Amino acid sequence: MATLQEPAAPANDRSYWGNVWHAVKSTAVGMGITFRYLWAKPFTTQYPDEKLPVDGRYRGIHYLEQDLCIYCQACAKACPVDCIDMGAKRHGKELEWEFFTVDYQKCMFCELCVYPCPKDCIHMGEQYSLVTEDKADFLLELTSWTGLTEEQKVRVAEAEAKKAAKKAAAAKAKAEKAAKEAAEKAAAEAAEAEPPAEPEPPAAEPPAEPEEGKE
Amino acid sequence: MSALLPSAAAAQQGNGLTELLGGLLPDTLPFWALTLVGAVVAFAMVFGFVAVLAMFATWLERKVAGHIQVRYGPMRVGGWHGWAQAIADGVKLLIKEDLVVSAADKPLFKLAPMVVLGTALAAFVALPFGPGAIVADVDVGIFFILAISSITTFGVIMAGWGSNNKWSLYGAMREAAQVASYEIPLGLSLMMPVMYFGSLSLHDAGELQSGWFGMQWYVFSDAFWIAIPSFALFFTAALAETKRAPFDLPESESELVAGFHTEYSGIRFSFFFMEEYAAMYLMSAVGTAFWFGAWNFPGLSLLEGTVLYAPLAVAAFVTKSLLLVFLMMWVRWTVPRIRIDQVMALGYKYLTPLCLLMIFLAASWEWFKATVFGA
Repeated sequence: MATLQEPAAPANDRSYWGNVWHAVKSTAVGMGITFRYLWAKPFTTQYPDEKLPVDGRYRGIHYLEQDLCIYCQACAKACPVDCIDMGAKRHGKELEWEFFTVDYQKCMFCELCVYPCPKDCIHMGEQYSLVTEDKADFLLELTSWTGLTEEQKVRVAEAEAKKAAKKAAAAKAKAEKAAKEAAEKAAAEAAEAEPPAEPEPPAAEPPAEPEEGKE
Repeated sequence: MSALLPSAAAAQQGNGLTELLGGLLPDTLPFWALTLVGAVVAFAMVFGFVAVLAMFATWLERKVAGHIQVRYGPMRVGGWHGWAQAIADGVKLLIKEDLVVSAADKPLFKLAPMVVLGTALAAFVALPFGPGAIVADVDVGIFFILAISSITTFGVIMAGWGSNNKWSLYGAMREAAQVASYEIPLGLSLMMPVMYFGSLSLHDAGELQSGWFGMQWYVFSDAFWIAIPSFALFFTAALAETKRAPFDLPESESELVAGFHTEYSGIRFSFFFMEEYAAMYLMSAVGTAFWFGAWNFPGLSLLEGTVLYAPLAVAAFVTKSLLLVFLMMWVRWTVPRIRIDQVMALGYKYLTPLCLLMIFLAASWEWFKATVFGA
């Protein structure tokens, strides 16, 4: 039968005066150490006033390079909690941004939205704190602008002008082609019957059309 | 300035406060009325001092604790290094709900904080703050202080029993066990300065140390080789008396939640808190008065008779006492708490015999001086 044994007391072979000396000395040494630390510079970072640097790979609140984004929705599709939503209108190649929101009530900072992006324009940032008094404030807008920028407006106008010019040119070519065909047809008809004196007027019509296209 | 309570001696000497009171009050008032007014004024002054001291000391304690652990401590309340933290804590304690446990022994539970704080404040009566700045210069000053501050222990035991809580009761039992082991060396360690000065009055001790251009302190006297070890013995026993680490067994928050004051909240808790800092200051002031020259410092005697004399003397006494309070904090954040059997062993096996030895040496030295030098 196992018997309960008292654990062996730690060896103390000091004499009575040895104990007194040991107590005084060890206390003095300990207080010397704490006194040194008393004047040491505290290790604390005073958080709201000063912040520790965040590692580059930290997954904080997103930031979007909006000028690169092509509104492909790849990030929104990749998101497992469906917290990314975006809206934009297309004007040819230009995008008229309406919104690009991330709901940080849902977001779990998994970074899965970053990888599928074909333009590498959505990133996880360094901001780790978001405090609000209203749940709605957790829906953050990542766009830096909405609507068309001045540059975009110029580019859209240029593209539209180009398109209109192209269309006009196409119409002109078509009209010329039609006139030519009509002339050829008339010539053929004339050749079949009797040789006529001159071709019919349809060739005079085309100049009216380009004016319409210029508008 | 000698005593606030009207007495023949005080009337003869005519100190500042008595003179002021005497000027304000008509001479025809009976003795009991003068006594009552003096007592109320004295209580207000002592309570005000203790309240301000407790606020400052809690802030200092947290700053010392912080910096010893290489952090800042309170930094935000009030701006500069969290100076208003103690005020915020005090207000919080005042507006907290006053809970009394349903199973508690209610009269004891409610009486305990009053006993604890009341005795701590009463001990200040015999404590000088400067030359003549003493509420009542009792001839047996230190005896009175020891007797009164021992009653604090009963308050602690009442709190522990009255709470009807196992943690509180453990704390109270430890206090009861501890009190027997440290009260004896505490009393004995004070015999050395008492023998040297030949007086039990702290005020007398202060006046007897005013020589040598303000440096005739007990620790610098011919008996310094007795004074220094006896101060170490006194200080160790005083740490136990004030229930400070490494002797904070009645409280030991890591084992007993909060020990004897586990069930207390709000203003009742703050009474225990104020008592702790009042007792710390009291013991430090006793140590200052007996060993470190009370209010004397080099150059003070030059100012005697001027307006600056009394304020500077009081400032010196309070500063020296606060340095000893700092020493107590420094010890607290250095030395870990010891077991109850270690406390008892320290009290009975080490402090008491060493105190007796020091008393023998001190008495021998006084006899030696008297016979050989005829002093």
